[in-house]
Amino acid sequence: MVIFSIFFGRVAGISSGDIPYPIFAYTGLLFWQYFSSSLSAASNSLVSNRGIIQKVYFPKVIVPLASTIGHFIDFLFAGAVFIILMIYFHFFPTLLGVLLLIPCLVITFLSFSGLGLLFASINVKYRDVRYVMPFFLQLLIFLTPVIYPTAVLGRYQWLWYLNPMSGVIETMRAGLLGVGTINWTLLASSALLSILFFTFGILYFKKSEKYFTDII
Amino acid sequence: MKIIEAHNLSKCYRIEPEREPYYTLRDEMVNLAKKPLRWLKGEGEKKQDFWALRNVSFSIEKGEKVGLIGRNGAGKSTLLKILSRVTPLTQGEAVIRGRVNSILEVGIGFNIELTGRDNIYLNGAILGMTKKEIDLKFERIVRFAGFEKFLDTPVKKCSSGMHVRLAFAVAAHLEPDILLIDEVLAVGDFEFRKKCLKKMDKASQEGRTIVFVSHDMDSIAHLCTRTILLDSGRIVMDGPTATVISHYLDSGNKSY
Repeated sequence: MVIFSIFFGRVAGISSGDIPYPIFAYTGLLFWQYFSSSLSAASNSLVSNRGIIQKVYFPKVIVPLASTIGHFIDFLFAGAVFIILMIYFHFFPTLLGVLLLIPCLVITFLSFSGLGLLFASINVKYRDVRYVMPFFLQLLIFLTPVIYPTAVLGRYQWLWYLNPMSGVIETMRAGLLGVGTINWTLLASSALLSILFFTFGILYFKKSEKYFTDII
Repeated sequence: MKIIEAHNLSKCYRIEPEREPYYTLRDEMVNLAKKPLRWLKGEGEKKQDFWALRNVSFSIEKGEKVGLIGRNGAGKSTLLKILSRVTPLTQGEAVIRGRVNSILEVGIGFNIELTGRDNIYLNGAILGMTKKEIDLKFERIVRFAGFEKFLDTPVKKCSSGMHVRLAFAVAAHLEPDILLIDEVLAVGDFEFRKKCLKKMDKASQEGRTIVFVSHDMDSIAHLCTRTILLDSGRIVMDGPTATVISHYLDSGNKSY
């Protein structure tokens, strides 16, 4: 957050509107970190637990999903830091924002689970995918309004609707910091997309699951 | 009652001699770019089929103790993997009536940084015991393994023999209808092996079915009443243990 504040907030001069840049970026990072670290854990989970998968019979969906639990704990701690920041910068969440926290977390969960299940299955078959994943995830952060507001896209605003995390982060920024209004269409499209991701991820996983033990 | 029925089980593995040892997305994309037509037509590289199991049929009665013997690569472990549903069949059908527990490897999921106590719970959970069940059996497991002294030391500080003892002790206290055991006893010492065989014998008296893979003919002869001899994925012989073992040993002598 400090690095982001210095580089993007000061040097690059990205405007974050009425919100001080540090807490602006931190709100984004809070959810982004949960999303990206869970996604990367889920993607690698099957290959790194091959010992168990080859020797014991159990529903394999558990593996990618379980690997993300630890990152939820990380999220809770990061959330505690966020509360301290809110106190420091004198921000107060709206009641609606607090209520929306749960749907937003569900959207985040569905998104990374869906993608994670998909990547995990691909990872079993193609072992080079795990080397590309970190770079891919690093790129993704720039496709998400983590370090800059959605306004930067100008008239290409619709692009945000393709990324489920943009709805989550924008909603939480407006709701938890109590600044601006919530973009309901963006949130709805995020929710829809995340459900789509999750369904596709589960279906693909189920389809390829049978052969995991033979090729893992 | 027939507790396991296998009809024409076959398992085929693909061996691709021209392939790199693992697939990469990069290669796949390069291949796709090179030969787009070939990919569209669905022609892959030459693939060789390796039949690990071919038309294996048998049935096992409830409470039977069956040994599986055969040379390395005969398909014994593959058969156990299929029966425990870890790997899918290529052809055929396997009907299993009851709760199966398989010990394909000792100490799955052991974490060497954890203490013996934690590992008992962890391993037990992986093998399908509930926490309550383990709580109940905990004392017996520890006594069986002779692990009292090391219960609260990290497992990495114990000898590898102790690992096996502890892991097997957990597995031995499972109470499934069918117990599938791959060659896992080889590491324990003589006394511990005897103890395990006795334990398995007791389990079968309680009505459990045991399928036991081993290269140790003494253990097989000691435990199993019926033995199946596999060679290159086919059943060569299926009958009373003594006859099958002597056939196996004779055929082994002939080929040298």
